[in-house]
Amino acid sequence: MGIKWHKFALKTVVLGLIAFLVFGPLSSVILWSIAIKWYWPHVWPQEIGLAYWKQALGLQRDWAIAAVSIWEAFRNSMIIAFIATCTTMGLAIPAAYALARFKLPIKPLFLLLFLMPKVFPQQPIFVNLLPSFTRWGLAGTLPGVIIIHILVCLLFGIWITTSAFKAIPESLEEAAWSVGATKWQTFWHILMPLAAPGLLVSTIFVFVTSLTEFTGTFFIGLPFITTLPMLLYSASGYNMQFASVLALVLLVPSLLFMVLTERIFRPEYLGAVGR
Amino acid sequence: MRSGQSEGKKERGGASALLPFLLLLPAVTFVLFLYLYPLVASIIRSFTVSGESYSLANYSKAWALYKRDIIFTIEVAILGTLLSTVLGIALACYVRLSRSFVARFVNSVSRLAIFLPYVIVGQMMRSFLAPHGFLNVMLANIGIVDLNSPIQFFNIKGLLLGFLWKEVPFISFLLLSALQVINDCYLEAARSVGAKTRHVVMHILIPMIKPAIMIAGVLTFCTIVSTFTLPYMLVTESPTMVTVDIAHRVTYFRDYGVANALGVVLYLLATPMAVYYLRRTVREAIYGY
Repeated sequence: MGIKWHKFALKTVVLGLIAFLVFGPLSSVILWSIAIKWYWPHVWPQEIGLAYWKQALGLQRDWAIAAVSIWEAFRNSMIIAFIATCTTMGLAIPAAYALARFKLPIKPLFLLLFLMPKVFPQQPIFVNLLPSFTRWGLAGTLPGVIIIHILVCLLFGIWITTSAFKAIPESLEEAAWSVGATKWQTFWHILMPLAAPGLLVSTIFVFVTSLTEFTGTFFIGLPFITTLPMLLYSASGYNMQFASVLALVLLVPSLLFMVLTERIFRPEYLGAVGR
Repeated sequence: MRSGQSEGKKERGGASALLPFLLLLPAVTFVLFLYLYPLVASIIRSFTVSGESYSLANYSKAWALYKRDIIFTIEVAILGTLLSTVLGIALACYVRLSRSFVARFVNSVSRLAIFLPYVIVGQMMRSFLAPHGFLNVMLANIGIVDLNSPIQFFNIKGLLLGFLWKEVPFISFLLLSALQVINDCYLEAARSVGAKTRHVVMHILIPMIKPAIMIAGVLTFCTIVSTFTLPYMLVTESPTMVTVDIAHRVTYFRDYGVANALGVVLYLLATPMAVYYLRRTVREAIYGY
């Protein structure tokens, strides 16, 4: 009986500790986003309110609160993510179809090329693109940042789309060919509808990756292009409340992605997410 | 590959043999120009000083200035990978073996961490681990910490916590999918001859998912080595990670030579892991094993 009780106590303490380490950072951000006044050694905020949320969402302007409206950064992020996602999928779908359905003599080379960015650091790439982008007049511009986002998103797009295509048995397409359908008809009327859930995962994932991209935008976009992650970074140096509001705003797309794709997301889709 | 072979016969000869290459052309061109070219350029530039002579000057300067940071990066990467792999295995096995409400809850909550970008994790850790942040104040409240000399977390401790916070769920998610495939009858057979939970974990579950564990560990190592966001936001003292040094070198000094030498150091750190991962993944994609 004594041993059992000990075991139970130990289990509770360990689980409690883990829960604190897991939820602590999250609750800390939530509390800071509604804290108007929070000085140590107080465990909880002394004064709470939605002033920083209102200011960030542009519902009020109060010079006493150091927060700017997030709408400009939000608009930038949305424009970049939308164009980057469309272009990425436009490049990724044909490439993924070729990788999933054709036998190519130098296929390992293509696979290698698309896999390398996943395991090798990408930061030196951005650093070395900066001089070229400056020469081409792309540094610090929206098109420059969009190109960088496509680069970051493309490999995820290609990999998730390839596994989405591969998951569809080829016999279905062969059946269509055998009754006289052309390649194009088969692709459009058989493969695409069947692979739609996987393509949806791919598209949303690429969109969220672009929305939360940090490193590439940091080197190519700053100081002229402000996206939500850039705004979060610059706020986190001086304004804990505003930065926390931004972190929670930026958390929404990831949360939505998780909920939306709960059933259709597969482990092989995962790369190094949100690096 | 089953599908590839049947395709090959039909496609032999004719203009349609070119089709897959045409389909790949835009994506490959994009990656060649904007990934492979700067990659090669970064290696070449790391050996050039003031645009002409080839030398190792950048490397000796990088080593002289950032030796501590290079060692620190290796430390964080190894420690972070080992800790998150062990904890990831524990979490995955717990979720696999336990049918309780807690296990299912932990599983679905930990999935959120996978999809959060490091910029949010960085901000969360910044507010949570600050000298007078949530954690220190909590610990002070139960009498463990004196707030006049709080625990400093903006160093290797905070960095490891931040990496673990995101990588443990990632590893667990990868492993759990491998664990779900294992038939319950193995576990029941072991239990019927008296195996305890730890025996089941050590002698059945872990050996059966060993390839998945290797892949998860390799990906985690590469992520830790190449992540810029978290150390940049979190670490305020020296030593810091090499990625932060690269950014400093470029944004403050426009010193691309040393920055690229540091970049090559990061490539070299990632290479053994990357080669393992690339070989396995490509082989799996081509031959299916």
